[in-house]
Amino acid sequence: MSRPASREPESGSERQGISQGSDQGMLARATGARLWKDHGLLLWAHFLVPPGLAALVVAATFATPVLAGILAGAVLAIAAVSARGLLSRLSQAEEARLALTNQLIQSQKLAAIGELSAGIAHEINNPIAIIAQEAEWAAHLVGEAEKTGTADFAEVKDSLREVRAQVDRCKNITHKLLDFARKREPVLQEVDVVRIIEDMARLVDKEASYKNVTLVRDLPQDLPTLRTDAPLLRQVVLNLMTNALHAVDTGGRIQASARADGEMLEIRIADNGCGIQPENIDKVFNPFFTTKPPGQGTGLGLSMCHTLVTGMQGEISVESKPGQGATFIVRLPLRHSPLHAAGKNT
Amino acid sequence: MEINILLVDDESDFVETMVKRFGIRKMPIDSAKSGQEALAALAAKDYDVIILDVRMPGMDGLEVLKLIRERAPLTEVIMLTGHASLEAGMQGMNLGAYDYVLKPADFDDLLDKVRKAFERKQLNVKARKQGA
Repeated sequence: MSRPASREPESGSERQGISQGSDQGMLARATGARLWKDHGLLLWAHFLVPPGLAALVVAATFATPVLAGILAGAVLAIAAVSARGLLSRLSQAEEARLALTNQLIQSQKLAAIGELSAGIAHEINNPIAIIAQEAEWAAHLVGEAEKTGTADFAEVKDSLREVRAQVDRCKNITHKLLDFARKREPVLQEVDVVRIIEDMARLVDKEASYKNVTLVRDLPQDLPTLRTDAPLLRQVVLNLMTNALHAVDTGGRIQASARADGEMLEIRIADNGCGIQPENIDKVFNPFFTTKPPGQGTGLGLSMCHTLVTGMQGEISVESKPGQGATFIVRLPLRHSPLHAAGKNT
Repeated sequence: MEINILLVDDESDFVETMVKRFGIRKMPIDSAKSGQEALAALAAKDYDVIILDVRMPGMDGLEVLKLIRERAPLTEVIMLTGHASLEAGMQGMNLGAYDYVLKPADFDDLLDKVRKAFERKQLNVKARKQGA
């Protein structure tokens, strides 16, 4: 089971549970190692001196009560001082850890922005190149026509049509981006998740059958209803199923399952396709990340799912071993926090 | 409470049956045979739920959906399709359709979806009033 992806919902590092988990683990180990390296002596003193002195006190009790009193006082004093020292050092270490975490989040945010801009640039560059080329060609043709006095405008029109088509392509990309950025406030309704999954699966069935892919449902009939945004959930489920369908080969298998897990309702869409390479697993929810050939996917599907699920107060994560398929896991709260629900339903 | 429903489909047999079936349940519905007709009807009346066929001659269902979302963002749209086209389904959902129903649609199922879509519209209206 992977860690939920949005442990720190406001951070930019929420994209992928696995990477974040290992980052924090690494951080914790590094902090521990540094603590021992810098303050090893103090730690040893903290653990060894009090018991040693206690033993002395016990021994001294049998000699004179006054000596025992002095020794006991000394023991308490030393213990107190060393404990305080340790505490202050621990809080320093904690501060350092927090600073490091923030740095890490910041750098991950920057990396995400970098990738995003590269994605946009890449998507828009191709149509722009074509537009430039066609405009140049049209100008050349018009120049020729001017010189010779005979005009063949069919080709010019053709060029202009191409320019227009490419502008539309750019417009499509920016519109998708705008959709992506627009925050749609969820509208909460009682939702039968099994029904939604079944409905969306029926949409996928036909296309799946062309590819000889079976879409298996593993849906319990006694699943509790969920208060969530129905069309947004449909969008997420349909996107994940389509994504799975693209990932599997002919004869592949997709399994859609749902179950209640404590306070959460969990939906899993699993496929036995090519899986996700380890170096890509923390990028799959990034906007514009795609492994499909250019023109065949904008790389916005999964990042949109991420945005939608987070908007529904849920979590989305992925588990995958290359060559053994991938499982996308959506976890939604069975009870919405009152803060969120209040504005919509009272 | 009465729900204002508009059914948009070029198949007149299907439309007739639907109008009859909704009528039996004391739910009068309007119908339109094309996207243009639907948009004209929408300009004249505030519909709660529009049931919209994807494949129609002339204006494509997805195109109509886009315009409905622009002109009447509170109106909920249920897409209807004869052949399960995954691409159209994805586009429809991404454009903000409430649900997607495959033909031949089970009537009770469709009715249920219409009620849910209407409930959502009312919630939206309420939220908007509170926000204003």
